Amino acid sequence: MHLPKKKTKLSVRDAGISFGIFLFTCILCALLRFVGGHANYASMLFILSVFMTARFTEGYVWGIAASLIDVLTVNYLFTYPYFHFNFTLAGYPITMICMLAVSLATSALTSRAKLVERIRIEAEHEKTRSNLLRAVSHDLRTPLTSILGATSAVIEHGETLSQQERVELLEGAQEDACWLIRMVENLLAVTRVDADGGGQIVKTPEAAEEIIAEAVAKFKKQFPDANVQVRVPDELLIVPMDSVLIGQVLMNLMENAVVHGEKTTHILLSLTKRNNRAFFEVEDDGVGIDPEKLPHIFDGTLPQDNFSHINGKRSMGIGLSVCNTIVRAHGGVLEAKNRPEGGASFSFSLSITEDQNGQ
Amino acid sequence: MGNKCQVLMVEDDMGIANFMSTILLSNNYGVLRAKNGETALMMVSSYCPDVILLDLGLPDIDGLDVVRQVRTWSRIPIIVVSARSNEKDKVAALDLGADDYITKPFGSEELLARIRTALRHAAGSDSAVEMPLTGVFHTGGLTVDYDKRHVYVDGVDVHLTQNEYKIVSLLSRYAGRVLTYDHIIRSVWGPNSSGDNQILRVNMANIRRKIEKNPGDPAYIFTEIGVGYRMAEGE
Repeated sequence: MHLPKKKTKLSVRDAGISFGIFLFTCILCALLRFVGGHANYASMLFILSVFMTARFTEGYVWGIAASLIDVLTVNYLFTYPYFHFNFTLAGYPITMICMLAVSLATSALTSRAKLVERIRIEAEHEKTRSNLLRAVSHDLRTPLTSILGATSAVIEHGETLSQQERVELLEGAQEDACWLIRMVENLLAVTRVDADGGGQIVKTPEAAEEIIAEAVAKFKKQFPDANVQVRVPDELLIVPMDSVLIGQVLMNLMENAVVHGEKTTHILLSLTKRNNRAFFEVEDDGVGIDPEKLPHIFDGTLPQDNFSHINGKRSMGIGLSVCNTIVRAHGGVLEAKNRPEGGASFSFSLSITEDQNGQ
Repeated sequence: MGNKCQVLMVEDDMGIANFMSTILLSNNYGVLRAKNGETALMMVSSYCPDVILLDLGLPDIDGLDVVRQVRTWSRIPIIVVSARSNEKDKVAALDLGADDYITKPFGSEELLARIRTALRHAAGSDSAVEMPLTGVFHTGGLTVDYDKRHVYVDGVDVHLTQNEYKIVSLLSRYAGRVLTYDHIIRSVWGPNSSGDNQILRVNMANIRRKIEKNPGDPAYIFTEIGVGYRMAEGE
């Protein structure tokens, strides 16, 4: 497992935190002195502040810096003689050593906790990936078996088969090969999202209607019988996105409508502008989504025997979870619902403005 | 049909080469096969094929180099065969002078259509493209009248701006072929214009709103995402 190297760069954020805690402690001590007059708690409060600094910043630097500054501050401001340094105070080295020790120990613990957390997230990532890989491999085996079977039947028993039988076998192989191609496109899409491990994508401004048009054209090539209607607004929407990936999402959603809508006759793919976001929606008039499955439809965790091979059609669970991954990487949310008039609706929206908040 | 058209197929994968040559042979094309770039270059000069089908991922030299070298002395149409998600390679090949591309995986219909288009453009390339445009172009309900510089959809005159007309007539002249964004921008706005696609996109959106019934499902001008635009084959 590869872990990214810890950043040694000092961040502005950490500087802010350290300074904020320091300032807060100073003010608190000053206030308490006006109220109480006694100075012993100053050391305690500053030890606490060193602890907090070490806890909430990266690495050791800020904690150690805070402990040194705090020791000096306590000495200068909050112990007799006020506003003078006096290094001959009884117990001064002990305070100093205590603060340093607190800082070092806390920083060490914190760094360790953060490391453990990172390992945990990485392991989680690895787990989803291997789950996906297992599901995919399982799904790939079936069509490959049928292609192998059909082609060897034609090669080995070609003479004894009727022309129609041969064509049927080959058509089956062709259909399976098409399905495999679509599956591989999905896998390629996932690796494209995952390329840097951080789920980062490269967005370029694209004309949303062109992405839709191309996705629909490709889809019609694969499903010539599907009846897809497209609606785009009069205004040209330029949306920052990875065009290949969003195209893949739209293709998957339309394919899903055909394959799992079961009795789908119409698909409507619409683009609208809502609150400065481009809103994509794929609606169908099929059987809709089983309400029990609705909450799990995107996470790919549906039991295989429940979800795959409905009507002999293979699982789209992977396709939908790929859609979800892609939309999330774009800073959007993929939503699925059943339409009141029947059929399912899948929708997501992308920010139109250039800000790369999807990071 | 005295002489068969010769297709030089440059492809290192046996499976793909076999299936393509079967399709081509059964459609009355002659097939020459090369497994790598060096052989391909040799065969181009010795056999002078009518069209070259070139896989970009070759074992010895970069497919783009093959395009570059052939283009130094020949205008034989080159159709690049490329894997998906390689828009940059496609654009590079087209800008180097390749005529068209086809994306793996493709079916036999698509392959044959691309070869037909390439051959037709090759037949006319020496004379027609260089000459000022005259006559009319038809595809579906779209008509481009080069003499009057007018565009009609289903017989109705469509009012295009100067640049919009330039884009439409350029695409119609190369109908069936993809033109890269850069190619269109340079032809319409001049060779020194910046490589900003945005202005072309906006123009295209306006054109589509004028000539297409549904801009989201165009019938005349198709987008090849990341590459350029292609107009439907003429009749």
